[in-house]
Amino acid sequence: MKARPKTQPKTRISLTAIVWRIFKMVIKACPIYFTATCLIGVIHGLSWGLNTYATQFFFDAVATAVTSQTELTMVYLGLLALGGVTVGSQVLNGVHNFMAGALYGLVPGHLVKHIHHKAARIEPICYESPDLLDDINKAEKGAGSSLGLLIVVVVLLTFYLPYFVFMGWYLYRLKPILLLSLVFIFIPVFITQLIRGAVHARLEDESAPLRREVDYYERCICDREYFKETRLLGAYRFFRDLYLTALKAMQQKKWNVELKTNLMEIGMRMLTLAGYFGVLYLLFTALMNGEISIGSFAAVFGSIELMFGIMEEIVANHIGGMTRDLATVRNFIRFLDLPERSGDTERVSFDGGIKFTDVSFAYPGSETKALDHVNLTIRPGETIAIVGQNGAGKSTLVKLLTGLYLPTEGTVEIGGVDSRRISPESIYKGITGVFQKYQRYKLTLQENVQISDLQAQDENHLDAAVAKADLELDQETFPQGYETMLSREFDGVDLSGGQWQRVALARGFYRVHDLIVLDEPTAAIDPLEETRIYHKFAELSKEKTAIIVTHRLGSAKIADRIVVMDQGRIVAVGTHEQLMQEQGKYAEMYQAQAQWYAG
Amino acid sequence: MQIDARRYGLWDLVKLPLQAGPGAAILTGLNSLLSGIVPTLHVVVTASFIDTAIAVLQGSAERSEIYSRLFAVVALIAYSWVSGSAAKLARTKLGLALQEHYHTAITEKRARLHYRHIEDPESWDLISRVTSRPEGQLSDGYNLLLSMAALIFRVLGVLGILISQVWWAAVVIILLSVPLFALAVKSGKASYEASKETEKYRRKSSYLSSILTSRETVDERSLFGYGDPINEMWHERYETARKIEHRVRRKWFIRTKIGSLITAFLSVLIVVVLLNPVLAGDLSIGLFMSLVVATFSLVQMMSWGLGSYVDQLAKFREYLKDLTKFAMLEESDSAQMLPADPAPEFQSLDFKNVSFKYPGMEKYVLRNLSLRMEAGKHYAFVGVNGSGKTTITKLIAGLYDNYSGEILLNGKNLREWDPAELKAMLSIVNQDFAKYYITVRDNIALGDVNHIESDSDWRVNRAIDQVGLAAAVEKLPQGIHTPLGKIKADGQDVSGGEWQRIAMARAIANPAPLRILDEPTAALDPVSESELYQEFERISRGKTTIFISHRLGSTKLADEIFVIDEGRVLEQGTHQELMALNGEYARMYESQRSWYN
Ligand SMILES: Nc1ncnc2c1ncn2[C@@H]1O[C@H](COP(=O)(O)OP(=O)(O)OP(=O)(O)O)[C@@H](O)[C@H]1O
Ligand SMILES: Nc1ncnc2c1ncn2[C@@H]1O[C@H](COP(=O)(O)OP(=O)(O)OP(=O)(O)O)[C@@H](O)[C@H]1O
Ligand SMILES: [Mg+2]
Ligand SMILES: [Mg+2]
Repeated sequence: MKARPKTQPKTRISLTAIVWRIFKMVIKACPIYFTATCLIGVIHGLSWGLNTYATQFFFDAVATAVTSQTELTMVYLGLLALGGVTVGSQVLNGVHNFMAGALYGLVPGHLVKHIHHKAARIEPICYESPDLLDDINKAEKGAGSSLGLLIVVVVLLTFYLPYFVFMGWYLYRLKPILLLSLVFIFIPVFITQLIRGAVHARLEDESAPLRREVDYYERCICDREYFKETRLLGAYRFFRDLYLTALKAMQQKKWNVELKTNLMEIGMRMLTLAGYFGVLYLLFTALMNGEISIGSFAAVFGSIELMFGIMEEIVANHIGGMTRDLATVRNFIRFLDLPERSGDTERVSFDGGIKFTDVSFAYPGSETKALDHVNLTIRPGETIAIVGQNGAGKSTLVKLLTGLYLPTEGTVEIGGVDSRRISPESIYKGITGVFQKYQRYKLTLQENVQISDLQAQDENHLDAAVAKADLELDQETFPQGYETMLSREFDGVDLSGGQWQRVALARGFYRVHDLIVLDEPTAAIDPLEETRIYHKFAELSKEKTAIIVTHRLGSAKIADRIVVMDQGRIVAVGTHEQLMQEQGKYAEMYQAQAQWYAG
Repeated sequence: MQIDARRYGLWDLVKLPLQAGPGAAILTGLNSLLSGIVPTLHVVVTASFIDTAIAVLQGSAERSEIYSRLFAVVALIAYSWVSGSAAKLARTKLGLALQEHYHTAITEKRARLHYRHIEDPESWDLISRVTSRPEGQLSDGYNLLLSMAALIFRVLGVLGILISQVWWAAVVIILLSVPLFALAVKSGKASYEASKETEKYRRKSSYLSSILTSRETVDERSLFGYGDPINEMWHERYETARKIEHRVRRKWFIRTKIGSLITAFLSVLIVVVLLNPVLAGDLSIGLFMSLVVATFSLVQMMSWGLGSYVDQLAKFREYLKDLTKFAMLEESDSAQMLPADPAPEFQSLDFKNVSFKYPGMEKYVLRNLSLRMEAGKHYAFVGVNGSGKTTITKLIAGLYDNYSGEILLNGKNLREWDPAELKAMLSIVNQDFAKYYITVRDNIALGDVNHIESDSDWRVNRAIDQVGLAAAVEKLPQGIHTPLGKIKADGQDVSGGEWQRIAMARAIANPAPLRILDEPTAALDPVSESELYQEFERISRGKTTIFISHRLGSTKLADEIFVIDEGRVLEQGTHQELMALNGEYARMYESQRSWYN
């Protein structure tokens, strides 16, 4: 086990490491397609070089033809070559762009899959720190940019590098000093891009929290979840102001960075320009001094222009985007590298019961302990009720009991094994539950229930679970039966609060289990139904270990033992009768509730 | 800036950016147009430079003549380099301005929408299409128009030079580009249709993606271990959408490339035509060379540029159509209004034979419902799950108006009420109340938005005391100024019952005379629940309350209880009367009471 990854050091992973990692992922995702695209890219690049060459050949032919008035065949040959190469490179261009474009659709699917895979494996407690939430947000962006980064690197290596090497050799042969022009092109470009990359990485880190705020306030205004309430409260302006403030702060940051990097870029370009001017002058004097011919002058003049154009293209389209993306791609890799919870795979048998020894727990960023030195033993087959005031730590206890959270101090033993030591999957294997904040999935009814145990696709089982939760499949509420989509957004129906809770219950019951944990399972359910459910539940959980958190103290009677919590501690354990006799917290709560049913 | 209910056309791609950031928009515009002219100048200048260089070499010109040409070449290049960077800055600025004004305007429009649209799948599709990255759509559209203009200038420039040499070549080019243009328009339409079709899959897959990564689902995701299977399901949807787009793209590429092959042949033809004058000496070598280069680069531009520009243009057209539809969506006038201050007086509320079904649904949720409520009394609604209690509150709040029958508030039809007055009339704690991730204070002070800025801390504190939240708030690191949720870096979360009490406190801080509490104690512990009932009299003095609850002990507080069943009032009366009736209510009550004997 490792410490909480809350304060993950933001390590800088090198460019080569990043590219290599992505390369491996992409190759694994679509080996043939990727290689083919790269190869065609190289050929496409070559055809481009060929194009320049054909142009020069043609021009030379025309120039000689004009001066000496002969050899028209060479001219037509040149034109034919030029036309052929142009057509060929157009075709290659189409194929290459099409394939690259297809990759841009294909690869992110695989990369985002890695993110989802990872997100299922980092510890639930990580989701309590805003930092991590940022990281996920940024990682998804990074997955989108990864392929771009890889392709740029590949193109730089397979196309532009050979091109520039060739040009260097060509210029050197013509006049060694012309080689200087390459230096003038490269140095400023590199400096600019280095700085730009660093600045953008910082911007990315700094603006993520602001972006989170902006997005959230927008949701408060127009997301379905908030729409009704925000409107009825008349809180629109309040949230708009928050939204605009956060937006402006974010924009200011971005603008400052863009201004700085672009001004710097302009400066550096001036330097390159000076180099260009110098090369032109050198060429011209060489021509005047008769060192080179008119033909090669025109050719070199043309190709130097082309070279600067290409450089411009690389900078503007590729490297510029790459340094911007690099920051988010780095986040992507960093996210994939977050520590996962691991441990031995073991069959956990609940025959061993559950044992809390001196367990304390505090949420990240909070000083108060949500659980404070808790000791508790749950025997196999027992039904336990947990009661206590709001904020007493019941839900937190449930999360430790199911192994979702690990204790900050002390040990939790599930089926006789320390929850830190075994892998989470082994712990979860026999456990099911309904959480206080249960989910309302925008999926079909069947998927909503079966999502708790997707391995066990079983119709009978499904019927049984739905029956246990007393969910009536009447034609009116569920027009398509199990296939009814439970979301208006996806062309389905919506349910009432209590109906949703029954779906959640059915989901809990569907999973094959030895231990079941219900955190306030009937908060929204009507009285008749509630009574029915509790009686049924008492029946059902005879052979299983069951834990119920409840505020309805009457229903706690079905438990073998009742655990009373207060301010993170367990203050009493016993049967209903014992606790009533003790005249403690429990009796007080019970009386408070029972008085409303007196007479 | 505001989204008005009107038709949006291509012209708006120019107008809206000009409105949002005039300086930046003009600068980008100017730069783009110049970038269309510069290439033509470039042809001329380069030609003259080469010709002069050759002339100097042959001794037919002074050496000093070359410098001005050299300078012109360098100046042109310098301009296009620097302007590139400057234009990038201007574009960024424009993007930011659009985000600030246009995106905000879109958000505002969304906030104004009639509630009906929020739950209607079809308008939701439209809304999500229009509102995803709206600033990007506009700035891309604007840049596209500019690039098209630049391309046209560029083509015209080269054509101009061509015409001065061989006029008919220019005519041939123009004639041939007409069918090319039509081809591009057609494929543009097709690809937009495809993107519309894939939208549904995309939305579904992005929902699945959020299940797989969000904080809300982490508990169930881990315990139930559904990460991998749902991930597969996600990928399947993603692939479906991708494949549809892939097919369309393939067609698009084939069409576009056929276009560019035709243009390539055309340029070879032009070169052939130009050969004669150059060999005859009518055309200088310099001009010939630069013309050839310009024509061939035109091939690139025309084939790629034209094809993809027209294609994108078709997309933006469709976007503008969507925008028009979105702008035309019905609004409710109340959306942005603050509640009237002071709040109006409440006298009575009547439902007369009200029937209602949710738009687009078959099932009647309310059936001929009639009931009457009067000022100063406390009412309770009870009933089995799905009987329509929450729906009644939505109708009272004026969220839906497609009901039949009449709802009279103070004797006046609810539909005719001034929205601001109606807002001020009632405060609601929804069953699925909102958990705003802002400070505790703001969460509660929002109940009285008219006085949110003023020093209302004492009011907030009083509400906190009344719902018994004081101890919990004290524990928070920054007291009532602690941000809740995990949006701010120092945010804290609180327990389920504590959230519910915050929602209660918000309603208590609200000065509205009619208060609706939908399951306000569902998550409260027994002691707090009981305390709340005891305090209830005091908290709701002078108010009329509607209390919806499955905890029947609470109904004793009510002057009148309505038992709702299948959208109708089944029984009504005081607790004693209903118990005496020995009907549904008595059954429910007994079933719950049996736990406490
Ligand atoms: N995600 C969280 N981050 C930080 N603090 C939390 C978080 N969830 C709960 N807390 C705090 O931990 C304490 C225990 O919370 P818990 O949810 O376990 O209470 P509970 O007994 O389940 O209450 P309830 O009856 O209201 O559901 C409370 O003081 C709460 O404010
Ligand atoms: N937005 C909606 N769209 C379509 N149908 C809905 C919508 N909301 C609720 N329904 C349906 O309307 C019926 C009544 O729902 P309502 O929420 O009013 O019930 P309720 O009496 O409040 O139940 P509960 O006690 O469970 O809260 C339910 O059958 C539900 O399926
Ligand atoms: Mg809880
Ligand atoms: Mg309800």
